[in-house]
Amino acid sequence: MNRRNYTVHVALALALVVLAAAAGRIERWRQTRVVGVPLPAAEAPPRRVSPEEERARRERANTGEAEVLVRFKAGVSEERMQAIAAGLHDRVEDEIESVEGLAAIDDLDGESAEQIVADYSALPEVEYAEPNYQISVGPLEPAPSHIYIGHDLAPDFPGLPNDPMLSEQWGLVNVGQRDGVSEADIGARYAWEKTHGSRKVVVAVLDSGVDYTHPDLAGNMWHRPADVEMYFDPQLGTVDDENGFSALADERDPMDENGHGTHCAGIIGAEGDNNQGIAGVNWQVEIMPLKFMGRSGFGSTKAAIEAINYVIARKKDGVNVRVISASWGSRQRSRALEDAIRKAGEADILFVAAAGNDSENADRTPHFPSNYKLPNIISVAALDRRDQLASFSNYGEKSVHVAAPGKEILSTWLGGAYEEHSGTSMATPFVAGVAGLVLSVEPDLSVKELRERILNTADRLDSLRGKVVTGGRVNAARAVGAVQIK
Amino acid sequence: MAQDREEAVARARRDLAARLGVSEGEVGEESVEEADFPNTALGAPVGGEMSGMMITSGWRIRLSARGRTFEYRADRNQVRLHNFDGKNYRV
Repeated sequence: MNRRNYTVHVALALALVVLAAAAGRIERWRQTRVVGVPLPAAEAPPRRVSPEEERARRERANTGEAEVLVRFKAGVSEERMQAIAAGLHDRVEDEIESVEGLAAIDDLDGESAEQIVADYSALPEVEYAEPNYQISVGPLEPAPSHIYIGHDLAPDFPGLPNDPMLSEQWGLVNVGQRDGVSEADIGARYAWEKTHGSRKVVVAVLDSGVDYTHPDLAGNMWHRPADVEMYFDPQLGTVDDENGFSALADERDPMDENGHGTHCAGIIGAEGDNNQGIAGVNWQVEIMPLKFMGRSGFGSTKAAIEAINYVIARKKDGVNVRVISASWGSRQRSRALEDAIRKAGEADILFVAAAGNDSENADRTPHFPSNYKLPNIISVAALDRRDQLASFSNYGEKSVHVAAPGKEILSTWLGGAYEEHSGTSMATPFVAGVAGLVLSVEPDLSVKELRERILNTADRLDSLRGKVVTGGRVNAARAVGAVQIK
Repeated sequence: MAQDREEAVARARRDLAARLGVSEGEVGEESVEEADFPNTALGAPVGGEMSGMMITSGWRIRLSARGRTFEYRADRNQVRLHNFDGKNYRV
């Protein structure tokens, strides 16, 4: 290049830079005019964080409201979302692929979650905004020192599995043990005459993960099939989901470090007839661990949504995941979570949710996600071993659909152990398990048909009249079409 | 880190003293009793926090200072301040 050409090239380059900068300014000015937000952070004067803002930041850290979930209206482009976020001194931290327009927004300038929500809610491009609520399942609980006294059921009921602790599983087979009422159970022994479940059915446990090495669970765990590639998410990158999925940024392994998720998994599908521990509602099934709460027991709405997003994506990839079991909740409504569950329904996935443990009428005091009025949700109350609504259980003639055993429930725990726990957390996987059993014999049922089947075949109980929509306890035998001998 | 009852009470006392700006000696211990809480947030959810719907055993700790009574809830791994001026806190 000679000196003259060099001068021409430099002049041309400078002109392009000036043009590009001007175009950028015009575009940003246009965006500012359209959405009424200030210029992006790079061009806005630096803000000082006031003591009040710092206090709000600390408060947020303590109350766990660090991010905001924003759903932009249809047609708002990704670039536009980023420009809006930048204009508000924020950034788009993540997009939720299954719900169009839904994004997690990170605050960069110390505003309170309430202020960020107000900022976005005022924009014409935004459908709604809400804090990214923290979700907790709590830390490890002390291991109770139960002694399981053998009560051999086999002579009376041939065909039962040989799991040695079955006699303590009153929710499956209640013969009046420990002051229970005979047949105050889900009718499992009759259902098992027709099906023991199937490893072709995948049930997802959306929780604190699952101890997939537990000897009574390992044989029924889902593993990513060889013909399905590792999970890719534009924001998370490639995630090795060999053993399931963790939505926690620093813990990609879905191994449970809390215990709650492992307990729920055992109710759904601890391996049956393996001469060990307990039996699940399904002797055979595939349990997909979804971890959105860590060892400390806290997660977030966004992480829960990420996990649901993962299930939907895997369903589209050909994994036969038809049920999500969700043993958690609060009184806080999240439209973003509701949208994600709705999308799961559109993918033919049933969402079974705990009704809550506040002894409240959920018709008047709603609990979420169980109270979302979505066609793929079943809300579950808890019963004791005498077919009475558990004293802690929420109920609701309009909002809680069905009841299931949920008090003094024995199931798998961390470290190869077994523990007995109570809650609508424990009732929920009984219903998710029954859904799995039904699908093992009728795999082509739609989510609508599956939900109707479970609700329409419940055993009506006097104790539940006016307490739950069906007035009944889930019945596995009737749900799978087995003949129940009374 | 698992804690026992005494450690939970000590954490609660330290928190209340710091919160009120008083010495720990000015914080009185009214009662500590075993309790079952409705969920894993010990019935004291913070903000919009959601929790596992499992009955959780722990301790209800009542402390007093400046003529008022304050309720903390704890189990082996956490301590929460319940309904402090209308809000719950993780300690």
